[in-house]
Amino acid sequence: MPVVDVDPDELRELTGHEEKEDEELKADLFGLGLEFEGETDDGEFQFEFAPDRLDRLSVEGVARSLRYHYGDARGVYVPNTNDPEWTIEVDESVPDERPYVTGAVVRGLDLDEGALESLIQLQEKLHATMGRGRAKGAIGVHDLAMVKGAPLQEGAEPSITYRGVDPDGDTFVPLDANDELTPAEVLEKHDTGTTYADLVADLDRYPAIYDDLGLFSFPPVINGKRTEVTTGSRELFVELTGTDQWTIDRMCTIICYALSARGATIEAVEVNYADGATHPSEYGPELVRPNLDVDEKTVSHDRIETLLGVDFEPEEVVDCFERAGLDASYTLGEDVSYEVEIPPYRVDVLHPLDLVDDVGRAYGFDNLEPRYPDVGTVGGRHERSRLEDAVRTSLVGLGFEDLLNFHMTSGTENYDRMRIEPGTGGAAVADADEPNASAGVFGGGDPIAITEPYSEEYTQLRTWALPSLVMLLERNTHNAYPQDVAEVGFVAERDADADTGVAESRHVAGAVARRDASYEAAKGRLQAICDDFDADLATPRTEHPSFIEGRAADVVVDGERVGVIGELHPAVLVEHDLEVPVAAFEFDLDALR
Amino acid sequence: MRLPERQLAVLEAASATDERTVAEIAAETDLKPETVAGAAFDLAEEGLVEVGSVTDETLELTDEGRAYVEAGLPETRLYRAGLDAGADAEPVSMGAVIGGADLDGPEVDIALANFARKGFGSVDDGELSVDPDADPDADPEATALAALADADGESRSAADIAVDDAVIDRLDSRGLIAVAESVTRTVTLTDDGVDALMTGVEATETVGALTPELLASGEWRDAEFAEYNVEAEAETARGGRKHVLRRTADRVKDVLVGMGFSEMEGPHADADFWINDCLFMPQDHPARTHWDRFALDVDPMEEIPDELMTRVESAHRDGWGEDGDGYHSPWSEEFAREVALRGHTTSLSMRYLSGVAGAELEPPQRYFSVEKVYRNDTLDPTHLLEFFQIEGWVMAEDLSVRDLMGTFEEFYRQFGITDIRFKPHYNPYTEPSFELFGEHPETGEEIEIGNSGVFREEVTGPLGVDCDVMAWGLALERLAMLTTGAEDIRDLHGTLADIDFLRNAEVSY
Repeated sequence: MPVVDVDPDELRELTGHEEKEDEELKADLFGLGLEFEGETDDGEFQFEFAPDRLDRLSVEGVARSLRYHYGDARGVYVPNTNDPEWTIEVDESVPDERPYVTGAVVRGLDLDEGALESLIQLQEKLHATMGRGRAKGAIGVHDLAMVKGAPLQEGAEPSITYRGVDPDGDTFVPLDANDELTPAEVLEKHDTGTTYADLVADLDRYPAIYDDLGLFSFPPVINGKRTEVTTGSRELFVELTGTDQWTIDRMCTIICYALSARGATIEAVEVNYADGATHPSEYGPELVRPNLDVDEKTVSHDRIETLLGVDFEPEEVVDCFERAGLDASYTLGEDVSYEVEIPPYRVDVLHPLDLVDDVGRAYGFDNLEPRYPDVGTVGGRHERSRLEDAVRTSLVGLGFEDLLNFHMTSGTENYDRMRIEPGTGGAAVADADEPNASAGVFGGGDPIAITEPYSEEYTQLRTWALPSLVMLLERNTHNAYPQDVAEVGFVAERDADADTGVAESRHVAGAVARRDASYEAAKGRLQAICDDFDADLATPRTEHPSFIEGRAADVVVDGERVGVIGELHPAVLVEHDLEVPVAAFEFDLDALR
Repeated sequence: MRLPERQLAVLEAASATDERTVAEIAAETDLKPETVAGAAFDLAEEGLVEVGSVTDETLELTDEGRAYVEAGLPETRLYRAGLDAGADAEPVSMGAVIGGADLDGPEVDIALANFARKGFGSVDDGELSVDPDADPDADPEATALAALADADGESRSAADIAVDDAVIDRLDSRGLIAVAESVTRTVTLTDDGVDALMTGVEATETVGALTPELLASGEWRDAEFAEYNVEAEAETARGGRKHVLRRTADRVKDVLVGMGFSEMEGPHADADFWINDCLFMPQDHPARTHWDRFALDVDPMEEIPDELMTRVESAHRDGWGEDGDGYHSPWSEEFAREVALRGHTTSLSMRYLSGVAGAELEPPQRYFSVEKVYRNDTLDPTHLLEFFQIEGWVMAEDLSVRDLMGTFEEFYRQFGITDIRFKPHYNPYTEPSFELFGEHPETGEEIEIGNSGVFREEVTGPLGVDCDVMAWGLALERLAMLTTGAEDIRDLHGTLADIDFLRNAEVSY
């Protein structure tokens, strides 16, 4: 969840509530869903919140929300925007992978340290959230005084150009550096460059922003030193590039609202996509940005009442909307509905339902009286769940400790240490009367590999459960014997015929570890389970590398080969540091159905 | 006549002429006093002995009494100080004498009260005179205290120190001694007892184990069973036990079935479509990146209804309903068909709500599952790569947030968690959404116990559901850690589990 750092003094100043104590502020913000997490080294408060209200990623946005909460502000607020002077020209050389650009000019700023820090924080937090780590949208903020957008001809407007550049096609001095570097050199040598290299490394041409003096910004990687913003900056050029016009426009909106709250004036810019450059199909090639248009959605009175379970007067609903920073109008009639105006920083509102949530929050969910729904249904457990449970009860009755092991394991544990090999599973069916030598090794099915495992211990799903039991015995050699353990659990192997390509099933596995463990001990218990479920058991001799030769058998239930039973091979025991014999069985749970 | 061995021993040790105490007989027979007493009562019932009792009083100095043995009784000190001040000749002012007697606080009143009573002298108008003939050295109270002090901590009876009962009563009432009573049982042979011994009594045999032979022959009737030390430790019997997490899961299932919920089941490995796309999770959502999910190296899943795929894609791209907006995120069918381990069991809810898991569902419905989910999280004492998620949902016409609150209050009440709080929250797939907080029944700490909400129309709409569905989820392990007190989840779950921990975990019900 996103975390915003807030200087409590700035918050008091921006909300106009100098009298609020720190603890009051924390409590008020908790009510808005911002949870106090701690303090930074500089004494700023850190608040964590759910990633819907990204307009709260800076102190300015948090202050705005508080002002609505306190009733100091009501309804929709949109800052004024002056007519554009500047233009962003988009050249057809812009890489197709990052075609879009937007921006704004900001004038009349008085940036102190706090305000500058807050702007940088907002930029970084937006990069991390909406910007998807700068891949989807990246923000560059420049000191406008250092941008030279000399008009090419008399009477034309100043402009900058978004274009593509060959990796070694030009040079500039990036932030935090002193030398002229080509974009390719930035990716190689500059700390920020190496961090974000993956975003552009595969492109033929890199995204670049030029003014009259040349290359000054290399989005989404790093700005140039020439246009660096300082506390002395009075006017800013904000540009954003990315893979989606809507997303960068909204990120730009949130920046503009924040700077406007600091007393700055927003001035629009024109964005002209050249012929041959990809432009956003929904807006056309010529845009005026920032787009601070108010969105409108309709929500019915009835939906609000049914979803919140409360009867409202329309005036109450409108009041809630206004306290949430929205505007609403309605006409009385049979079916009242509200035309709700939504300010452009509310990137979270996708559906009228989101407006009902705003009404609920403004009304106070705490004020709702819980009630048990007057709806009758009949409950029950599904068959497999009941069967698993019944088998567990049988196993426990036979003295087995019921286990719960991980489904993820490694090839080493699943195969190697049990002396079997992947891909030797073979057909599962064999004739009870005639042991089928080609039937395959139980547990030797093809693995389902995890493409990016957490660690080497968890690289695949287990194809059988016995290795987990033996691992557990290995971990418990310091504990008292006998250790009779069992599990009814999930296993999976590759199966091209399954919907998902994964054959999932449940196995019943049991192991008897004690000084006198024998084949007979395991078979006696297996027999008891089969008797419980009226299943006919046969144990024709088989060969299985995990078991001692001549002391292993197929588990054949009702004529179908469903598992294996035997005394574990001494090599398996020694491999697992076990000093007592172990007799074990494993079979498919479905055999008992 | 035959008697059990221990009764015979007591009978033989008893005398017809002397009252013998149980302690004496125990010493002689080498039996425990309680065994002797038990046998004596058995014999008394047979009329072979009489059991009598003697009540003894024993005396012991209190702390105050002990102090007076050192310093002298307050009245004696007053008398001697009076003599020193010449009060035997003429009355002397009280103040001077009390100072000389080194009395303070309550001792003054004690001294005055007893001074007069014992005839040491008299007090008139604040002046004290002493009787020169009085003899505090002959005071029986002082003598008795001194005698008890000589007993050096051991208690004595009144007879031992040769003191009148009246003196004892007085010392007792002054709180200088403590009087304790003890009952001593005595045993005396009756005439029948003497006769029996004369005729001869044999001991019955004791039996170690009750055998089938003893039962069949009826010999058990005459057998005396050798006594066990029934308080001795026995080796704990070890049966098998259901895994502690399974038991917690069973409890949850019981509660939910009781509330009218039916259980869901479905694949652990599933298409991202069911795990995330149906849930209106944008494809570039951080939780869907490769480091948060376990993708599997299998072919993309083909078996997804085309129409459903189209509707879900449209919800992502363009939103749902007239006023709906889509995500401005990339969407690819290829990604939707990729197979991964489910990160939540909401994939099952999606399958059931869409109808692919069985029949098309008509409201009202309640469904749940308690099944494993997989998250590529960092392993630590409270996080596992695999854990159980409790998932539940209710489908009905016009469900409200109040119904959601009422349902979850009822569910958590079953686990002793009352007073749950609903904190407004955000999930991509529910609106409104609430995090649920409750007070730990033992520590009183406020803990997060679930996440809930009403499924968005972008979720239910494409699935073909046109009524409300409210849902919630929480980790089973969180409940289990509360109920078992486990501090490291890895003790419970997985191949690192300690078999002793599993054997000893308290049973919850």
